[in-house]
Formats: sequence, C-alpha cells, structure tokens
Amino acid sequence: MSVKVLVAEDEPLMRERLLGMLATAWPEAQVVAAPENGVDAWDAWLEHEPQVVFLDIRMPGMSGIEVAERIGRRSHVVFVTAYDQYAVDAFDAGAVDYLLKPIQPGRLDKALVRLREKLDARPDDVSDVVRQVKDASPEPKREKLKWLKASVGKQIRLIDVEEVLFFQADTKYTRVVLADSEALVRIPLKDLVGGLDAGRFWQIHRGTLVNVNAIRAAERVDAERMQVLLRGSDEVLPVSRSFTHLFRE
Amino acid sequence: MWKRIEQWNREVEAEQLAVLRDPTLVDQVPAGCRRFFARKLAEMSPAEREDLYQFSSSISTSAALLALLKLCVVLTVLGFMVNLAFLPDTPWWQTVVAANAIGAAVAMALAGVWFNYGKIVRAKGKALVTIVGLGLVGGLFGAMTAMFERGHAWSVLLDKLPKIVVTVTLVVTALVAIPVIVVAVLRNRHYQIQAEQLKRDAEQERLARELSETQLRLLRAQIEPHFLFNTLGAVQQLAEQGAPRAAELTSHLIDFLRASMSDMRCEQVALATEFGLVESYLRVMQIRMGERLRYTVDVPEALANTRVPSMLVLTLAENAIKHGIEPSLHGGEITVTARDDGGTIRIAVRDSGVGMSDTPGAGTGLENVRHRLRLAYGEGTCLLLSEAEPGLLAEIAIPCKEQA
Repeated sequence: MSVKVLVAEDEPLMRERLLGMLATAWPEAQVVAAPENGVDAWDAWLEHEPQVVFLDIRMPGMSGIEVAERIGRRSHVVFVTAYDQYAVDAFDAGAVDYLLKPIQPGRLDKALVRLREKLDARPDDVSDVVRQVKDASPEPKREKLKWLKASVGKQIRLIDVEEVLFFQADTKYTRVVLADSEALVRIPLKDLVGGLDAGRFWQIHRGTLVNVNAIRAAERVDAERMQVLLRGSDEVLPVSRSFTHLFRE
Repeated sequence: MWKRIEQWNREVEAEQLAVLRDPTLVDQVPAGCRRFFARKLAEMSPAEREDLYQFSSSISTSAALLALLKLCVVLTVLGFMVNLAFLPDTPWWQTVVAANAIGAAVAMALAGVWFNYGKIVRAKGKALVTIVGLGLVGGLFGAMTAMFERGHAWSVLLDKLPKIVVTVTLVVTALVAIPVIVVAVLRNRHYQIQAEQLKRDAEQERLARELSETQLRLLRAQIEPHFLFNTLGAVQQLAEQGAPRAAELTSHLIDFLRASMSDMRCEQVALATEFGLVESYLRVMQIRMGERLRYTVDVPEALANTRVPSMLVLTLAENAIKHGIEPSLHGGEITVTARDDGGTIRIAVRDSGVGMSDTPGAGTGLENVRHRLRLAYGEGTCLLLSEAEPGLLAEIAIPCKEQA
C-alpha cells in the first residue's frame, strides 16, 4: 500500500538527496509534492493531504515550524534541520522526530522504522513543541500583515486587514471581501496565508480564509460537508473536509 | 579601661577603612569627631583614597605606634647631641623636648602631605601662607614666654620683633613649607603619571578586547554550522550523483574556508582579496540555491590593492543572502561593486530580496560591520542602508589607503 509523502526543502540539492534516499529506503512512499518553500508546502498539503510530511525548518515564506502548526495532528511530521540547536532540544524533549542535514542513511532508516510503526495511529500532537521552538527561535517573529493594497479602477485602495470578512483564491489573484465592497489583490492566496494571523483568519478551505469575527454560524450540509454563514454578507462558504474539525464542539 | 580603648580603636579603624573603600558609607559613621574625620576621608580623590587604604590596611595601630616610638628615640638622641655640641648652657631636657616637638611636627606634616597632596598642589600659596603664619604665631608665643620668664620688658620684645619674624619665617619656610610643597608636587606628578598610565592601559585593553571580540564574532559568523552542514550535504549529494560539480563545489568551499581563515587573522586586506572571498562564498551559495540566486562581483582594476578591513564585505554579502534572498519566495540577485569617489571608496552590496521592512532582525551582522568601521576609521565612516526597490542596498564609504 502506498503512503502519500510530502517533502519540503528549499535547497535543490538537499531536496534531491532526501528524495533519492526515500526512493531507496521506502519504496512504498509516494512523494506527492516536493515544494521549495513554506507557502507552497502548505498549499501542497491542502491539495494532497499526505500522511507523512518532511519539513525543513528554514524555508522562505513560512518556516517548517509554521507549516507544522497549521497541519496540526493531521499528518505525521518529521522535521529536517542543519543546525538549529534550540529546535533540536525542543524536539528531543517532546519526542518529535527530526533528521539532521546532511542526512545520513542509517539515521533516515531509523526514522522510517518509527514512522511505519506509527502510520496507522493518530499523528502525535506537536503543538507544544512547535510553540516552544517558536518561542526559542532566534529569528525575529514575522510581522503580520496590517494593510493590503488593492487596485480598484484607477485608484489604489488601502484595506485594513481587520475589516476583511474573507479572502478567496481566484487563480493568481485573491478576492478580498469586505462588508460593503470587495477588491482583487495581485497576490495569490497561498502567498498571503503566512502573513495573516492564523488565530484571526481561519483557513476553512484550500482557497478560503475567513475572519473569525465574521462567522455567524457553521452548518452541516451532509455527513461530510459543512458550510459557513457570515455576518455582513450573504455568501455561503464551503468548509473542506480537513477543516470541519474547527467547528466540532 | 584598656580593653575599651582597644575596642574603640578597632571600631574607628574598621569604619575608616570602610569609608576609604566606599565613601558613601560616611553617613553611617556616628556623628561628631568620627564623622568629621570620615568626611575628610570621603572627600579625597579616588587615587588618594586608594593610597591611604593600602597604607592603613597594611599598617595596624600598634605598628604605627612602634614606628612613632622609634622616631622618638632617634629624636631624643639628636636632642642630646645638639645639647652637647651647641647649647651646653641649656638644660638637656629642653633640647630633647624641642627636638622631639620639631621632629614630630615635620613628620606629621610630611605624612599629612603624603596622603593629601592634591589639596596642597591646587593651592600652593595658601599652603605656604598657612604654614608660615602658624610658624609665626608659634614663634611669637615662644618669644613672649621667654621674655616673661627672664623678666624682660615689653620694649625688648618690640626691639627684637623684626629679627624674630624674619628668622621664624626663614626657618619655617626652609624646614617645613618647602619640603611639604616639594613632596606634594612630586607626589602629585607621580599620581598624574600613574593615572594617565592607568587610563592608557585601560583604553588599550578595551581596544584589544573589542578587537578580539570582533574577531571571535567573525569566526562564529564565518564557520556558521548551518552554512557548513548544508554545504557539505550539497557536496555529498553531488558526489553520490557522480556529478562533476561535486569537485567544483568542494574547491569553492576550500577557497572560501582558506581565504576566510587567513583573512580573519588580518585586520586589513586588499580589496581584490576581499572580493575574491565574497565571490567564493557566493559561488558556493549559488550551487546550493540553484536558480534562486544570481550574482555579480566587480572590483575595478585601479582599486584592487586598496586596503579594507577584512571580511566586512563578506558580512554584507552574507547578510544579503540570509535576510534578503533566502527568505524571498522567488530568490533574487546580489551585486557587489566598488568605486572610487574622490579619495573615498564606496563599496555597495545590493540584493533584490525581501528588503528592509520584512527583516527586523538583520541587525547583528550589520552592527558588527559598523563596529569594525568605527574601530578602523573612527566616527568618520558609516554604513548606509536603503531600500532598493526591490530589496536592500548596503553601502560603506571608507578612506582610500593604497598598499605600501
């Protein structure tokens, strides 16, 4: 039985190396995507919902830690790092698996043995470790987005992010919906996600981010599907299966 | 009774030593005589206090009394000799007392000035007048006592007054005032030389420490484990693929490590050397990052031998990679240039990465660069950062220095 695997690593040679080693050591692994930054990694995760994710810690867009935070307990996560002692200490304390770059074959085999054992169980909760690593990280906290620039006709409009009801992906653009109007910004939604406060804007679908304060209700459509009703807009937003847990009591 | 005196003495000694160490303690000393003397101690300059502390803590009261006793014996012998040689008519005890009194006065004056030279040097005239004035008062008092004892009339005193004044003034000036002032001046000069030496030493030590700290920081920055491990991983991967680029990457890494290790030991290097180091670093990074990194490094022939502080440009380039290109989703380009701007060399490192606003932590490496510039050229040089739309432009301007 094949296992869906995602490998996120920003340096091409290191990516090739991990992919090559996985191909030999774990033939059942089916690598569904090998993105080169955190933003694409999260987008690819949304698209494929792999069972196993290898995440480099230092990546552009979103760090591996931030991606893991979003994934939560929905995939088995193995972190990959060259030398982030603060992270390694936290991983050791929380029994989270990690690989040190350059990855040595023996070490990868060990991680794979552990992964195969855990594969059928619910993934470990890494949220404590993730929080710890974020606190200990010497890297500065990424500034959250406060304003968006959107061109409306001939004008450039400045939009306060707090006033946005929801963001919706529209191919290469993002639809930004406010209570009284809407605008199109020239940034793909996946690139916006990392700059938005994950607690304030919930991702309920690969293509939808909704302001928590704008949610009036969530309702069940059938056994699998849900949808969100909004304050200040008549639009109904579908919730994809992997995000229904946000609304479970 | 004796016990209580000893106890009191010990207390006073301890509190005076404490005040010498920390003058702010003076307010805790019991009011009155003890507070008065403690205040005097607290008002001394730090060096004077240090001197006195060294002296007082090494010599106890009993040792001081013993020294005084020895002085007494010597002075008594001296008094006898003067009596026998010059004043056979005077009772011996008078010359002995006089010798002891004069000797003790001079000794006390010199001891006082030994620890309190600052005040005397600052007001030499005042010290002279005070000493001579006190001498005159004493001399007149003595003369009057002698007159009354021998039953002379007032007129005799008035007759002899000019002679007494001149004699006393000359004797006191020669025996007390001049030695006191000379000792004070010598002590003060010694103190000033010592203080200057201390200051120079401290400054030199500070500079040396800053330099070695900077070098240590450089060392840490250069052989950053992240850089090494990731590069070695890339080498390993290329080698396993049997790619010829494995050898290429290894040789760039060797160039970089060798150059940075030798440069780290020099304060200054030729601009061409520094740019060579930067280029080997960027070559390594380019193989690792692939299409995400493009770069150009350009040093004009005319500036090749100009001396620049080592590893500064490298720090800027690393900064551009770490905070500009690496965090950027689509990578970017780094341009390293130098030009002669009328005797000032302007070195610019420009990256088309994420720019300034997104990288609030870009400070430590740049702080290091600023620090090195200050150490090498004083306050005249600077590191300028500006938004480059897109990205960041870091520029340093330094005075031109040709290799000798």
